[in-house]
Amino acid sequence: MIDVIKLKAKDYKSGIKPIWCPGCGHFSVFNAITKAMAALAISKDDTVMVSGIGCSSRLPAYVDSYGFHGVHGRGLAIAQGLKVARPDLTVLAMGGDGDGFSIGGNHFIHACRRNVNMTYIVMDNEVYGMTKGQASPTTALDWDHSKLTPHGPGVRPFKPAALALASGAPWIARAYSGNPNQMAKLIVEAIEFEGFSFLHVMSQCITFCPEQTDWKAIVHEREEPALVDADEAAKLFLHEDGFQTGLLYSEQRATWPPAAAVAVSEDAVAQLSASFRV
Amino acid sequence: MTMANKELAEFLAHSVELESEAKERYEELADAMAQHHNDQVAQFFLRMAQEVSHHLAEVSGLAKGMELPQLRAWEFNWPETESPEAASYEALHYRMSLRQAMTLALESERAAESYYRQVADGSDDAETVRIAGQFADEERSHAAELECMLLELPENGANLREDDDEPHMPE
Repeated sequence: MIDVIKLKAKDYKSGIKPIWCPGCGHFSVFNAITKAMAALAISKDDTVMVSGIGCSSRLPAYVDSYGFHGVHGRGLAIAQGLKVARPDLTVLAMGGDGDGFSIGGNHFIHACRRNVNMTYIVMDNEVYGMTKGQASPTTALDWDHSKLTPHGPGVRPFKPAALALASGAPWIARAYSGNPNQMAKLIVEAIEFEGFSFLHVMSQCITFCPEQTDWKAIVHEREEPALVDADEAAKLFLHEDGFQTGLLYSEQRATWPPAAAVAVSEDAVAQLSASFRV
Repeated sequence: MTMANKELAEFLAHSVELESEAKERYEELADAMAQHHNDQVAQFFLRMAQEVSHHLAEVSGLAKGMELPQLRAWEFNWPETESPEAASYEALHYRMSLRQAMTLALESERAAESYYRQVADGSDDAETVRIAGQFADEERSHAAELECMLLELPENGANLREDDDEPHMPE
């Protein structure tokens, strides 16, 4: 008889020490991911973390699972390809706001539209941290801390939840790095959701945006159940303050690829393999 | 299992989680500070982790042989969003002084004491009241030790929002 040993959150840590700045919100996201993995008793061998480039994209190295630290903004492309090729795996893609909404913005909107059954976690600190603090697509228009934008970027920031909804994402939630336990619950729900689940995390950058420590006093947990109607969700995402956490929108939709396409493509791959056989 | 034992089991499950999280958190904070060459604060957090590990062993010993409820991270009933003794990740800064680190640890010890005291005051189960009261006293003694240590430290500390080693922004 084989004893099944239930792993604890710390058992999902690789042992590589994070080099994030002390005070960085990403520590909390790392904590939440390992708690979620423990809660799901997820197999390390069947889980893959895929990232792009940036401070937050270092996270796969810290988790004891398979991982791929990819090219800037291209984590989603790799993750979707992997999930389509190996639907048996649990695939999580992750990165920052610059990686996800700017460099990889095109991949983001099409991943929302495509609805592959996987989870995408964006750790949004409204700044490019690894390259020393430039404005990102979610930076406030009057943020003047960078010499590159001394009067602020002067353009309105993206609303990531609204962008995801408009692009077709069927599951949208928001978490805050100051509440890793709520975030762990949302990650569990995201992984269990059948489709593309987008978790937007407000994760503070203590170094370049120390004012984000004030978020703690502003965030508030959503008390109502998640919206299931896209029109209602659009109204919410366009008019809310952006500091509401919890599952905001969830609507079941057909995932990609459809079963018929999978059967055809498996056959096509077999034919292709045969044609190269010597 | 009687209702009273159920209450005790639930309390001990919370206590094991509280002490485990505190130990792991102090270790993480120590690692983070060591990575950024603040060795004095790293050593302090490591020492705190060792202190908490003694308490964790005591709590685990009391729970030995009992069937504790298996709760997921978000199912614990804490006064705030996290277990009381886990110092916030976000309160850290690489320039943190020993005094600031000690103050953070003191807040955590006081939060743990307050939690245990609330359980002791709010429980109808005599054994839960006794053990929670004992844990609260132990946390109070840890806090008192830190208070004494703080008295011996100078009243200085970096203003963490005014970084005189500003990030290098080359553009």
